[in-house]
Amino acid sequence: MRIEKCYFCSTNVYPGHGSAFVRNDAKVFRFCSSKCNKNFKMKRNPRKVRWTKAFRKAAGKEMIVDSTFEFEKRRNVPVRYDRELMATTLKAMKRIGEIRQRRERAFFKNRMAVAKEKTLSAKRRKLALRKEKDERIAAEMAASAAEAEQEMSTELVAPVEKAETIKIKRKVLVPATRKRSALVKGEGKSMGMDID
Amino acid sequence: MGRLRRSRTHKAQRDVHRASRTRARTKDLDQIQADLLPARRALLEAQPIDPDLPGLGQHYCVECARYFESDAALKVHWRGKLHKRRCTRLREPAYTIEEAERAAGLGRETRTRKPEVAMEQDA
Repeated sequence: MRIEKCYFCSTNVYPGHGSAFVRNDAKVFRFCSSKCNKNFKMKRNPRKVRWTKAFRKAAGKEMIVDSTFEFEKRRNVPVRYDRELMATTLKAMKRIGEIRQRRERAFFKNRMAVAKEKTLSAKRRKLALRKEKDERIAAEMAASAAEAEQEMSTELVAPVEKAETIKIKRKVLVPATRKRSALVKGEGKSMGMDID
Repeated sequence: MGRLRRSRTHKAQRDVHRASRTRARTKDLDQIQADLLPARRALLEAQPIDPDLPGLGQHYCVECARYFESDAALKVHWRGKLHKRRCTRLREPAYTIEEAERAAGLGRETRTRKPEVAMEQDA
């Protein structure tokens, strides 16, 4: 028995689950669900469908090169059963899973850091543009005011300069508080379940 | 009251279902890419006369895996949008089962076998 991979979304297909399509050149396409099967029938390219593993890898959203991927392989040579080997393999699987999880987390954080930097710089650029525009308008107004002043001298109030601020959303850990019920307890007359 | 409207009126839906039958399956992109290799291509473009195929199977577009009635029709098709779109789609490598497995983190064992080393044994 083998755990196969879905052709479309690359998830595991366990024995007795999903469906398979055998093309007339004897290639077997396995599907985890009717959703994947239908998408295949529509001749969609999994690399362009955003919820598939193939898309996520092709678009650089997940790790591609890693030493933890070197272990799971389709092996066509059967291995003689050995209790100790099985035990160590099981242990290794768990350990590799842990290591991969940690690396994936690090990869995600790294990716998000880049994204954050990108959005911040975009915000800064936008702010700078707006400031430039404001200054230009202020200069124009000042010029027109100066012209007006020559005709009839009135005093102008200088425009107040705004302090440069950038709003950054940041996650803050809020200490968990115990939720208090808004219900008012009946004094001795409530329909509680407790029995005297 | 009984039924007011005749059944079997969804003709378009019927056609969609018929087109998606396995019997009516068209070639996949990876199959067509295999056809594009020069040797295969030459074979496909010079097929023996087959009375069951459109145009006796003499006017075949390899990229679109389609038979045409005449040479003129084939030439018009080559100028068309469908053919051009298919050509751009064929330019990048097609998606295969191997790629699906690779995306899942499942590799293939290569055939190279290491020379067997004698196991160390305790004295």
